[in-house]
Amino acid sequence: MLYRRIYQFFIIYFLGVMTLFMVKYVLDLSDYVIPGPMEIWHTGESVFIRYFFNVIDTLSVAVLGHILSIFLATIIGIIGRLTLWIGSFIRVAAYNIQSYPIVAVAPIIFILLGDGLSSRLLITAMICYFPLLLSFIGILSEPVTEIEHFYEATLRMNWRLQVKIRAFENINKITTVIVGSGTLAMVGTIVSEFIAANAGIGHSIRMALYQSDLAKILVALFLIGICTSLYLVCLEGLGRMIQRRLQNT
Amino acid sequence: MIRRLQIARVLKIALLLILVLSACSEKKQPLEEVNYRLKWLFNISVVGDLWAVAQGNFERNGLKVTVKPGGPEKDAIKELEIGHAQFGVASADQVIRAVSKGSPIVVLAQLFQINPLHWIYRPDRTVLRTPQDLKGKTIGITYGGNDETIMRALLAKFNIKEEDVNLFSVRYDYTPFYKGEVDLWPLYRNAQAPIIGEKLRQAGEKFDLLSPSKLGIRFVANSVITTKKTLEDRPDTVRRFMQALLQGWTEALDPENKEMAIKIVLKYNQETPEKIVRKQLPATRILMLPNAKFEFGKIDVTAWKQTEQIMLTQNLIDNPVHIESRLMPAVE
Repeated sequence: MLYRRIYQFFIIYFLGVMTLFMVKYVLDLSDYVIPGPMEIWHTGESVFIRYFFNVIDTLSVAVLGHILSIFLATIIGIIGRLTLWIGSFIRVAAYNIQSYPIVAVAPIIFILLGDGLSSRLLITAMICYFPLLLSFIGILSEPVTEIEHFYEATLRMNWRLQVKIRAFENINKITTVIVGSGTLAMVGTIVSEFIAANAGIGHSIRMALYQSDLAKILVALFLIGICTSLYLVCLEGLGRMIQRRLQNT
Repeated sequence: MIRRLQIARVLKIALLLILVLSACSEKKQPLEEVNYRLKWLFNISVVGDLWAVAQGNFERNGLKVTVKPGGPEKDAIKELEIGHAQFGVASADQVIRAVSKGSPIVVLAQLFQINPLHWIYRPDRTVLRTPQDLKGKTIGITYGGNDETIMRALLAKFNIKEEDVNLFSVRYDYTPFYKGEVDLWPLYRNAQAPIIGEKLRQAGEKFDLLSPSKLGIRFVANSVITTKKTLEDRPDTVRRFMQALLQGWTEALDPENKEMAIKIVLKYNQETPEKIVRKQLPATRILMLPNAKFEFGKIDVTAWKQTEQIMLTQNLIDNPVHIESRLMPAVE
């Protein structure tokens, strides 16, 4: 799985870079617009280690942000599944917050939390929790009648049991959406670093953009792609493990 | 004989008629279309560009110019090379970086004679009598940005080591400065200082500006650029464009045209209150026309050389680019 994902990423990345080179040579563009292969290589040599640690920094925040967003989505999903007023209120609030562009909300977050780790985490969670939330609300709001009926008839149903039944019956969907949102967690972290942080690969990309240095950005994209692939493979493995365990029990 | 004279008269009248008719039916030459990519959004720093469009300076020179606002992700040099624009505005560091990477661009005019990038500070809290007073201060810079290069050049010029100051990574959010966590905050003197200054004034605070230019750091800001190819293949277009543009800027900065210039800026930028634009205009004029006799658009070759030297010293470019060879001033 890991091997396949990595070589698939290599194919995509090199196809992208080749397209850029083709544009560069067909339109006769300078290295300022699209850097040549040698410049990318030399840039890679000089920034690879620094950028690698930056990506690891970003990935660690992305993992934390992802966990936070799963936690948030679960809580909001549990409350939002209710047909009462509070359920609909929470759903509307969650959808509204999501509709605001993060660049507009970011200054408020920085005022409240400063521009450190907490802001990065919150922005990451905000960006990646919405697809999770939609799935969680959908899954947790949909009754599993054939099982729930029994507990309702015997008056043993409570909200915890209801959530467990619905989650267990839809575990495949839940693991798929959690794995899928892993990419968004990485994107969210990079965005938050781009807007706010003094660390991470998003911050490095911002500096490279100030200097119109596409070579650095291509190196950063390469490392982001590799690390994201690794993270997704880990999530997929974890998902399969959880599924197997649950099926065994 | 009479018959011949009559025929000649008829012919003359016919010829005259043809001339008159042809003059009447003569179509206007179509305007030549060009794209002009600015460095930043429509604000006071592009008042002359907007003036040239709004007041028909380009049209009078046979051009239909589409002025496109810039932004952080838009790079005029790249657009020139790709062919999406024929003229653009770029900062000197962008130009020097691009030339160092083989970009075929040339500079036609220099917009700012004094770099608008300054640092705002509260003189009652942050006493700056000499550059050495910067020691121990918390100074805001945008890592990777122009202000970082300028501040590092300033510190190097006065032998202040990086560990003698606290460099603070700034954002678009001024809260750390308002809260007093940062002593000096970078901003554009003409566009932002009137806004931030007004806020400080309302809070009963005094402010002052640190000018790197006054301390000998002449780091060139925005200039008008085109490609060598455009200059060689379409010299007349370049001439007419620059004529219209420089005339537009000169008129926009003329104190007698103040009201019209403000009106034009407000037409394109409805976000900035008129009260602020009124303060921004004279601040812009000082940076672009340092004295009354100054001819707008002149290229300060010495400042360009110094900018290149600063970039070389800070390893922002690998080798000298001899930037003076790319300066093709429209104003001598």
